[in-house]
Amino acid sequence: MISRNDIENLARLSRLKLSESELAGLEKDFASILEYVGQLRRIEVGAPTEASGMSTVHNVMREDVAGVIVGGSRETLLDAAPRREGDFVVVRKIIQRDEPSL
Amino acid sequence: MKDTPAALSIVEAAKKLAAKEISALNLARACRANSDARNSSLNAYLEVFDDIEEQARAADARRAKGEQHPLLGIPFAIKDNILIEGRRVSAASKILTNYSASYDATVIKKLKAAGVVFMGRTNMDEFAMGGSTENSAFGPTRNPHDEARVAGGSSGGSAAAVASGMALGALGSDTGGSIREPASFCGLVGLKPTYGAVSRSGAIALGSSLDQIGPFARAIEDAELIFNTIRGKDIFDSTTIELTTKNHLPAGGLKTKKIGVPRHLLTEGIDADVLKTFEEALEKLRVQGIEIVDVELPSAPLALAVYYIIMPAEASTNLARFDGVRYGLSLKGESLVDDYAKTRGEGFGPEVRRRIMLGTYVLSAGYYDAYYGKATAAREKLRREYADVLSRVDVIATPTVPSPAFTIGEKSDPLSMYLADIFTVTANLTGNPALSVPAGMVERSGKSLPVGVQFTASHGEEATLFSVGKMLE
Repeated sequence: MISRNDIENLARLSRLKLSESELAGLEKDFASILEYVGQLRRIEVGAPTEASGMSTVHNVMREDVAGVIVGGSRETLLDAAPRREGDFVVVRKIIQRDEPSL
Repeated sequence: MKDTPAALSIVEAAKKLAAKEISALNLARACRANSDARNSSLNAYLEVFDDIEEQARAADARRAKGEQHPLLGIPFAIKDNILIEGRRVSAASKILTNYSASYDATVIKKLKAAGVVFMGRTNMDEFAMGGSTENSAFGPTRNPHDEARVAGGSSGGSAAAVASGMALGALGSDTGGSIREPASFCGLVGLKPTYGAVSRSGAIALGSSLDQIGPFARAIEDAELIFNTIRGKDIFDSTTIELTTKNHLPAGGLKTKKIGVPRHLLTEGIDADVLKTFEEALEKLRVQGIEIVDVELPSAPLALAVYYIIMPAEASTNLARFDGVRYGLSLKGESLVDDYAKTRGEGFGPEVRRRIMLGTYVLSAGYYDAYYGKATAAREKLRREYADVLSRVDVIATPTVPSPAFTIGEKSDPLSMYLADIFTVTANLTGNPALSVPAGMVERSGKSLPVGVQFTASHGEEATLFSVGKMLE
């Protein structure tokens, strides 16, 4: 049902570096898990409607203005960064000269 | 755990505090003594805070000035996925090594306003993925009733802390049963509120359409008190609602109560002693005048499959933020993508990696409609069935879990672990509130293990759950 190649692709999409033994283990796990959840595919449940899933939850809008700060002060947030330079979070250089952007 | 203030219920402790028979400092020290004695073997707390006495003295000072909130000075355990500003929080994961919360969760703000004393942060399955707290990066939490067994999960630490007197109350989170199942295994009251009743702002997200923060307590009125303190509409969580009773039955007290039991779901796969305890609980309610009827929930057998499609899908999205850029573990690979893959590959544990992969699969092109689309439609069908049944009965009752606490290491196959959620996931999928109440004990290898009964009510009907639960106390 799911191939080793599929598992490797999924790991790439999930941004997960996995060991050889884990990849093999996942192939087995997926087979049994997909077998179980796959029972849904064989059942008629009707098409999802607009209200599917969470009928009582409505979209909530607010004015697009700066308001109460949530999440901590700038200093607290910068302090959490693995690498910091002044008021900047240091990240890897991803755009090289003469190369197309990522 | 007798004859110590740590054995008191919250309501009892509040009375004694108000009468000045004990102080918050007494309570904190009593709970601390229990954690000193047992935490190294139970592993309930990942961290016992070092300023407990300072917090307790502050609570006593507030009381001296005339404050009276019933939670003032009460020692609480908080699950390691709820942010308390300035304190370490990790969702029991190595990927959040050295991360300190940059703000208070809304529920924490409310508990701080009430004057609660935070004892420590409790162990959990990593990112709340699990039903036993065996998926923690920091070792499992043991059941206080039998240390060879699990405390349940994912909020195992919070349950074990309250059950062993290391706190009088606790907060956990429930995405597929993560409050109710440990409550059942540890002999506590555990509530998953109506979706939207309690703000998720400041809770590390697993499945945003499923998660709710809720209380653990030793008595129904304690759970009710905690729930009423933490609930409410919140501008920081747009999915929150102010609870209004939509049910046609009058709020709080009913002249006749009717309980629906979906017997078609109880025909196999349930431990015989659990079933016996469940029937005894129903009988206790019957003799108090409650009518027990059979009900049908035709889509319920699909609920677990629906859950194990929707939850990993939402989790894979929610956990995409852990990339080593702005916080947490940050490992260097050969390229940007390799940085992410290495950080996540080493920072996340095996169950987390498994569920992220599963979520990525069901959301990927070509499979989206077949799995996620179908699951969403099935979810709506389930929700309508529950609403229909609950228009004819007040609550639906089932055992909380098909078995008592299993032994550590027993469920090594992921799918067998998932099957323990069979009665709890539906309430997360539909948003209905659900309460696990201790129903009795079963004997296993010479030890007495608690078993819970679960009641589910209509949206907003927590009061109905509490009133039925009180009839079993």
